[in-house]
Amino acid sequence: MFALGRLLVIGFLVLSVVYICLSLYSRAVRKDKLEAEWDEEIREGDRDAFIKAGLEDYDGSLRKKLILGVYIVPLSLMTAIIYFTNFH
Amino acid sequence: MGYIKWAIILVFWTAVASILHYTLPQHDVARITDTEVRRIDPGENRWFWASADAGSDGTLANRDVFFISAVLSSGRVMVYRNEDTSWGWPPYFKFDTSNLQAEAADLRSTSAAPQWVVIRHYGWRNEFFTIFPNAISVRAVDGPDQRIIPWINIIILTVLFAFFWAVYVRWRRFRMSRIDPVLEDVEEGFDAVGDGIARRRSGFRKWLDSWKSK
Repeated sequence: MFALGRLLVIGFLVLSVVYICLSLYSRAVRKDKLEAEWDEEIREGDRDAFIKAGLEDYDGSLRKKLILGVYIVPLSLMTAIIYFTNFH
Repeated sequence: MGYIKWAIILVFWTAVASILHYTLPQHDVARITDTEVRRIDPGENRWFWASADAGSDGTLANRDVFFISAVLSSGRVMVYRNEDTSWGWPPYFKFDTSNLQAEAADLRSTSAAPQWVVIRHYGWRNEFFTIFPNAISVRAVDGPDQRIIPWINIIILTVLFAFFWAVYVRWRRFRMSRIDPVLEDVEEGFDAVGDGIARRRSGFRKWLDSWKSK
């Protein structure tokens, strides 16, 4: 079981790095899009408030929760491989 | 410099291709002729042996390994090892080594009455290092000219290519928007300094020239 523990710990660390990078990247992309939307379409009122509200919407969105797939997809893949290799 | 750059690129892509070729599953249509157990002492070739059975003591220097001998549909012989990969690399998560050995023993046949099987495996056979491909599964098939479409490899390679392409495109976009302008700024700065020196030099030269007799 030591080998399983090692795999899980290393896997968790690597996936956490991926998760953090992906979260930051996704939020930055959303911010760019909000800025572009304000600059091209709205152009009235408070620009910073508009972007802040948009990012708050993003923080509660399903899209942000989908990034948790970084953990879920490899784990399900591992389970599927174990099943098909040994018990199929 | 050009040669060194190309050598590094060549070595890199050869390494990537070798790792994929070693790790991805392959299929052989073969006839199993024998199944046996041998004691092995991994030495220089220890990279090419997997781990001891899951749950057993993996720290001992030598151990017994199942082997499956076969004749390929081409007529050449091939010997497979049959080892657990457990939780380690490559990620086949194979724990059913003993079961696989029982299945393989069940499918043994002679050249007089051949029973053809598809053996899924990864790894290489190399006589100089005494390394063997690791069998993952066997299944019986009707004849030696079974058609095999490597769906898993197609999917894995497509996903891998898509992933690296996506990262590469984003990196290039980032470089064009963030790094290149900075480098250009620095270049322009150098150019400005260079122009200044040239102008001052030409002023000095003009002053010198003014002393020459015309």
